[in-house]
Amino acid sequence: MTSYFAGDELARATGLLEILRPDGSAVGEVPRTIDRDLAVRMYRGMLLIRIMDERLLALQRQGRIGFYGEARGQEAAIVGSAAALAEGDWIVPALREAGAGLYAGMPLRQYIAQLYGNANDAGKGRQLPCHPCDRAVNYVVMSSCIATQAPHAVGIAMAMKIAGDAGKVVIGYVGDGATSEPDFHVAMNFAGVFRPPVVLFCQNNQWAISTPGKLQTASQTIAVKGIAYGVDSFRVDGNDVFAVYEATRRAVDRARAGDGPTFIEALTYRIGAHSSSDDPSRYRDESITLEWKTGKDPLARFRTFLAARGWLDDGAEAALAEAVEAEVRAAIAAEEAAPLPPLASLVEDVYERLPWHLTEQLEELRKEH
Amino acid sequence: MAFEFKLPDIGEGVVEGEVVKWKVAEGDTVKMDQPMVEIMTDKATVEIPAPKAGRVARIMVPEGKICLVGQVLIVIDDATNGKAVAVAAPTLAPQPATAATAATTRAPEPSLLRRVLATPATRKIARELGVDLGRVPATGRNGRVTTADVRGHHTGVGASRLATTITTRPVVQETPVTVVSIGNEERIPFRGVRKAIAANLSRSKLTAAHFTYVEEIDVTELVALRARAKDRAAERGIKLSYLPFLIRASIAGLRKWPSLNSSLDEEKQEIVQKHYYHIGVATQGPQGLSVGVVRDADKKSIFDLAREVERLAEAIRTGKAARDELVGGTFTISSLGQLGGVLATPIINFPEAAIMGVHKIAEKPAVRGGQIVIRQLMNLSISVDHRIADGYDGAMFLQEVKTYLEDPTLMFLEMV
Repeated sequence: MTSYFAGDELARATGLLEILRPDGSAVGEVPRTIDRDLAVRMYRGMLLIRIMDERLLALQRQGRIGFYGEARGQEAAIVGSAAALAEGDWIVPALREAGAGLYAGMPLRQYIAQLYGNANDAGKGRQLPCHPCDRAVNYVVMSSCIATQAPHAVGIAMAMKIAGDAGKVVIGYVGDGATSEPDFHVAMNFAGVFRPPVVLFCQNNQWAISTPGKLQTASQTIAVKGIAYGVDSFRVDGNDVFAVYEATRRAVDRARAGDGPTFIEALTYRIGAHSSSDDPSRYRDESITLEWKTGKDPLARFRTFLAARGWLDDGAEAALAEAVEAEVRAAIAAEEAAPLPPLASLVEDVYERLPWHLTEQLEELRKEH
Repeated sequence: MAFEFKLPDIGEGVVEGEVVKWKVAEGDTVKMDQPMVEIMTDKATVEIPAPKAGRVARIMVPEGKICLVGQVLIVIDDATNGKAVAVAAPTLAPQPATAATAATTRAPEPSLLRRVLATPATRKIARELGVDLGRVPATGRNGRVTTADVRGHHTGVGASRLATTITTRPVVQETPVTVVSIGNEERIPFRGVRKAIAANLSRSKLTAAHFTYVEEIDVTELVALRARAKDRAAERGIKLSYLPFLIRASIAGLRKWPSLNSSLDEEKQEIVQKHYYHIGVATQGPQGLSVGVVRDADKKSIFDLAREVERLAEAIRTGKAARDELVGGTFTISSLGQLGGVLATPIINFPEAAIMGVHKIAEKPAVRGGQIVIRQLMNLSISVDHRIADGYDGAMFLQEVKTYLEDPTLMFLEMV
């Protein structure tokens, strides 16, 4: 690990930091920054994504929520990066980072409320599911447009710097597909030139819906793109929660100290469909998916490590899983039973004074409901 | 109680799915979230887990059948007391208009009829005039209140009456005709192809506003060309008539005057101008007239066209033409060959926009440079739907066809 960070920038951007091997054994020493408490907390965050996504996808199939984009298989990249943040930091997520918001403190019920678009939803039911937000933990609502997260994150960080709001860091998440978008390059350029306190984090799950990585870029890696912009770039095993945590922690520390941006590529695999509207068996070899699912699973290797280290035995693990499952079921039951947002919320929040046509339409709607 | 599970929108905007495989059977006890059924939509094949625990009371859609979004897929009895409830997609799943679902319990739908349909501009005018839109009789499409309705209602003039006379198609009241027998007659059942021809042509005649235009063509050079090419064609086993040349010349005309290669979409109120050229050739079959369609005729050589025309004619004569060889034309040519006549008023092969009648080629005196000479002359009659195209378009089209037929070498200069 020390040798990875001591290497030259090209070696960092083309290599792959690995701390926890797929079999659950550690490569050398586990970083001293990771103790038992943090490890178990991260494991719980990952477990939450695994259990929650299975339930939520079932809800979508049953017609109880309209859409879902699951993150199973990518739990380490999501939680490992979120765990490196501190209170007050900002998260600008893409589709699969709700788990990062939950780790940062967004209440689970708030997330589920957004999926139902009910009266408890902070967005008042106006967004497609998977677009939660939480002002209390600076978890920004996802912009569905690919790569916009990068300029948003860099912009927020630049604003903080201009406003003298020192000591806070912004993390912006993008996918592999986003790195081909103009927004990504604009943001990287601004980050490199103005050096705001930002971490751009690419979850390279190797599939931009149906576009595979090899059709996405001819670059040796995604991380090397950062070097051209003068942004130090790390490349880590995205299914290794320790590698993700350690790389992000270093990036966050550097940003907090005023030493500028970092770009991180976390190499992972999207073992599920892009979203509930997608069927990956139509365009990819699912035997490769199975290899990732069984041989490189981020939760399995972490569980093996935790048990071997004596940090979480099988009994405690089972109890934890049961508790998480109960929490998920309770949150779903509560939010499913919650009322819809008030009818008037359909026309609010755009005009300061409601124009006549909206007043009229609202009255017509009221007659029908 | 019986829980009716309706197929939700499992993609984004899917309207139906095919039941691929049931993983439960009627009478089975199912657990919540147990794999229940595989559904294939146009986006993905997905597995739907059981939405309730209970006993499978009824599978409403068998394997291999299509289930519309919003249609009941399965009924699960969860063994509690209470009335049947239907829980479906919380989103805007359209209610399918099938008898099967009409019979099942469902929440009353908000009636669209109670809602006044009007454009924002009409609403603004109504508001300015102080007119309550709900009291204005609507004459627009789908019950829409138009600006004219609002103004008419405001001034007390029955705007609706005025609008009705414009938008309503006259209805022809028909009393079936009875023919009383008064002598030696034969009664032939009126059905099949004869009846279809009658229906199609009456519809065309009653709908399209026909006008017919006739032009004389000097085909002396075409006759000579065809005479030369005939033997070459025969070597390849092709019987070369004048039709391939007429098709090619027509396409040149249609390219230049595309309103004749159009159809009127009455429902959408749009003229559909087609950029493909499927040319129908009317052929006498054993049971009556049929039109064989030469698809993408613009992409075929003269010999290819000859082969295709011959093949279709043979298929029609022997009654072996497939249905899709007889439909989908964009323009029709009707030729009586050597019978031909002098002129005709062909009836458009509806909903095409035009039909061209081809008449007899005969040696006739013609005046060329002040001298009377003997030339090969032929007439072409074209009937056009005046709703879509004007007389000018028809005349100019025929002029274009004439240019090509009188100087057939032009056809080859533009060949693809």
